[in-house]
Amino acid sequence: MELTAEQLSVLEGARGEFLRRCMRWLVDWGEAMGARRMVPLDNAHVLLPVPNQLMRGARPEAVQQYVEELREFCRHSVAPQCYATVHTAFVTLDELDVPQNDPEQVRLQRELADLASAAGFIPTFTCAPYLVGNVPLKGEICAWTESSAVVYANSILGARTTRHGNESALAAALVGWVPEFGVLLDEHRRGTLLVHVTTELKHSTDWGALGYFAGKIAGLGIPVFTGVRRPNQDEAKQLCAALATSGGVSMCHLVGITPEAPTLEAAFGGQAPRQPHVVFGAEQLRQTYQALRNHTGDEIDSVILGCPHASIREVGEIAFKLQGKRIASHVRLWVNVARATKANADFMGYTQIIERAGGRLLCDTCPTNIRIPARRIVTHGFKQAHYARGMTGAEVIVASTDNCIRAAIAGRWCGDEYDD
Amino acid sequence: MMTEFPGTSIVRGRVEGEALVADATLSFWGEVEPVSGRVIAVGHPLEGQSIAGRILIIRSTKGSSATPMVLRLCSLQGTAPLALVNQEIDSLAALGCIVNRIPLMVVKDPAIFHTIRSGDWVVVDSDQAKVTLKRTGAR
Repeated sequence: MELTAEQLSVLEGARGEFLRRCMRWLVDWGEAMGARRMVPLDNAHVLLPVPNQLMRGARPEAVQQYVEELREFCRHSVAPQCYATVHTAFVTLDELDVPQNDPEQVRLQRELADLASAAGFIPTFTCAPYLVGNVPLKGEICAWTESSAVVYANSILGARTTRHGNESALAAALVGWVPEFGVLLDEHRRGTLLVHVTTELKHSTDWGALGYFAGKIAGLGIPVFTGVRRPNQDEAKQLCAALATSGGVSMCHLVGITPEAPTLEAAFGGQAPRQPHVVFGAEQLRQTYQALRNHTGDEIDSVILGCPHASIREVGEIAFKLQGKRIASHVRLWVNVARATKANADFMGYTQIIERAGGRLLCDTCPTNIRIPARRIVTHGFKQAHYARGMTGAEVIVASTDNCIRAAIAGRWCGDEYDD
Repeated sequence: MMTEFPGTSIVRGRVEGEALVADATLSFWGEVEPVSGRVIAVGHPLEGQSIAGRILIIRSTKGSSATPMVLRLCSLQGTAPLALVNQEIDSLAALGCIVNRIPLMVVKDPAIFHTIRSGDWVVVDSDQAKVTLKRTGAR
């Protein structure tokens, strides 16, 4: 990789030992991935969570060292040109009546939030930064963690980010450069797989099903969708999240919607797809729902909405459906949101309606990270359903928001068109 | 018996150990428990098995961007794989292996998934860019 004199000086320690190490990681990473240079970074979305339940029972020194490494990143300043926000934590900073939200870990997370804030990171604590102000423009060079947000940034906004992990996003935000490879380059943004959709996608969970189906086939490739209407923001969010759950997709093209894919030819960059094309019809839709559901009964104890974090519109829709209703007493209904969205929901009265019905808005985190104590979960997110199965050990039912809320009120799964 | 697979070195180093093999993808966050190194993804071919100290041969990583974070936690806990061999390279696997100094190679030949089986003894020589099956384990 060719570095500028300024970049080389950082690599040689001109800005201290820690930034030297950050630059070393970025250069090694770039060289491994075929980058030829480093380019200035406009935007970062970084991961700074205390490990909490993820490291329950681990050696205390391992956890302490990890947290100390996060502190070290926060002792340096975000590059002046870079807009940097923070991804979901593994705890909520609010009161929560489950032992999994360990108060000592909450204290550490607050400390990290303060350090991060002083360093120039905005502690949004969300997996959907584009819902709370971090909306990069077309062509902006980003270093984003959160696999679903990466797909959203590339595919819906036309911004450019490869799939980042914590060290690369933090390092890039501090040094102000990122190695140029993958979807940062035009030639790696071309479609590799054509997915022709022949069935109507009725709501956001159906879009999640499409993503879950296509991600598995695409792997690390770039699916191109035809035959679909323009999704709204919440539907696009579900599509992107599911693509990066069953697969390792960095971007997709929705022909006519993705900024750089006005036509099918443009989506493939004039080249033939690498993989044979696939059809997503009513049968594939049904099978995708069924394949993820593993419930052995109808009694439920948890309903999880807002994966990825709910938009204010979704919160409003959920509040409208719960107005004057009562969630079954044995059911925990959580709507996961960014703190900024909750502030808005508080102001609008949505929070009060949801709380009066027996639900709550969960800020900063997500139930799989907290390891929600659950036996049977209903959720509208394919990503949540996929990971909750292994992480919480619960049985899952993935369903439309309407059917999730119906189940919450009834206290049991009431069935839908995808049941056997 | 010696079977050799040439490949591309992504992170250098030479290690040998027991293979853990699946013609499948894996997200470390959400599908691997860092405290034990156990794969927790329901229905995954490696479900219930531990990646700790193994030479993990899979198609690629996928899914969560917290994959490097979990590799870091595994590394600090002592449950990281000894080496990673992928058919295709996800930027997250590359990052996690660079930060944690875990040898990483790309071997494109899909025959590796049926020639090398879990339990076989394997040498990953990422300095010479080859993976060698040294002896087969109990099958």
